[in-house]
Amino acid sequence: MSTTQTSNHFLIRRVHSLLGLVPIGFFLTFHMILNLTALGGAKQYDLIIETMQGFPGIMIIELVVIFIPIAVHAIYGTYVVYTGQANVLRYNYARNWFYIIQRISGLYTVVFVVIHVYLLRFGEANFAALSHFLSQPLGLIFYVLGVLFAIFHFTNGLWAFAITWGLTVGPHSQKVWLYTLGVVFVLLSAIGLADIAAFIK
Amino acid sequence: MAEQKTIRLKIRRQDGPDKPFRWEEFEIPYREKSNVISCLMEIQKNPVTASGKKTTPVVWECNCLEEVCGACTMNINGQGKQACSALVDQLEQPIVLEPLTKFPLVRDLMVDRQIMFDHLKTVHAWIPIDGTYNLGSGPRMPEVKRQWAYELSKCMTCGCCMEACPQVNSRSKFIGPSAISQVRLFNTHPTGEMNKHERLAPLLEEGGIADCGNSQNCVRACPKEIPLTTSLADLNRETNKFALDRWLRK
Repeated sequence: MSTTQTSNHFLIRRVHSLLGLVPIGFFLTFHMILNLTALGGAKQYDLIIETMQGFPGIMIIELVVIFIPIAVHAIYGTYVVYTGQANVLRYNYARNWFYIIQRISGLYTVVFVVIHVYLLRFGEANFAALSHFLSQPLGLIFYVLGVLFAIFHFTNGLWAFAITWGLTVGPHSQKVWLYTLGVVFVLLSAIGLADIAAFIK
Repeated sequence: MAEQKTIRLKIRRQDGPDKPFRWEEFEIPYREKSNVISCLMEIQKNPVTASGKKTTPVVWECNCLEEVCGACTMNINGQGKQACSALVDQLEQPIVLEPLTKFPLVRDLMVDRQIMFDHLKTVHAWIPIDGTYNLGSGPRMPEVKRQWAYELSKCMTCGCCMEACPQVNSRSKFIGPSAISQVRLFNTHPTGEMNKHERLAPLLEEGGIADCGNSQNCVRACPKEIPLTTSLADLNRETNKFALDRWLRK
């Protein structure tokens, strides 16, 4: 039997894993921290957005650092969801629930990001536009779920990331990393929800 | 344990792979310290359902009757287990028996687990020492390594981890945790280590280690308590190093 056959399967899966942190995870964190400036009011926020949109080559940065990585991660991730078969009812374990929520949150985040970008990047990108969207109860629920699911997908993804890259090998280190990420989830969620709160005033 | 006059079983029957399935219920006299196999044997003696209908004896497989061969693995109350070590006194009744769902059905509770053995061939889960002359004795294995490697060697290819794994299904080629854990076992052996590239290379292909979804059901489902998730994480590290090194030397 020949062992020299090579496919790109392993490489694609590892790239998919890496993209979740670099750049997507870093972008998510940066994006939410930057949006805290909305707490300073509409004027300050709109000024920052205008400044950012005025950066030379912003479109290229958005394309290479944000759009392409998210598109690749989302499209391949959807295929990964398809190759799974959930069995939480028969195997009712916490980690098995995390497995299925990771997939649900991923799919929801794709829908959320598409609408989020359509409304605010290609639509009117300002404080008033989002404020108006969040003033509707359904819009608010859609956003709160989107932010929390995206953060869950990122932090739980980091848990699997540490296994995929061979960092946390044993059950103890995996558990310590899980609790650490639990704290990260709470912190990022606080930031994300503060962002939303800034727009509903 | 509470006194029980009878043992009630609900069994998923199917006469062949292409035949329709049906549920049949059985009620047999209670006997102390019964296991699922002894219940199936009792039904075999007098194959009559709880409602008094005559039926065919239930087909199942078993061999060692001491939880080391894996032949009698089936879904017992929804989870993969060995019927020989599944004690009636510890099970909720009616005891629901179904065949494993991740393997082709033969009949009733009997499935064909051949694919697991094919996966062991794919990953070269053996140590090649045969030749035309005596190779002499191999290098010694450190005792500390032997201790944890022994745990991995307890795998009986029963399929409980495959049954529990959400990534093992008809839409995925994932070879499952057991074969991957065997790669760790044979790559740890000082003689087996000499051919470790032959076992790591197949893990990079579709269905290999990258298809693990980290649900970690396998480690909970394993009747031999093999640290399967530790094997998976360890081989993630090894395959990353191997793949990078192989590419850099290209």
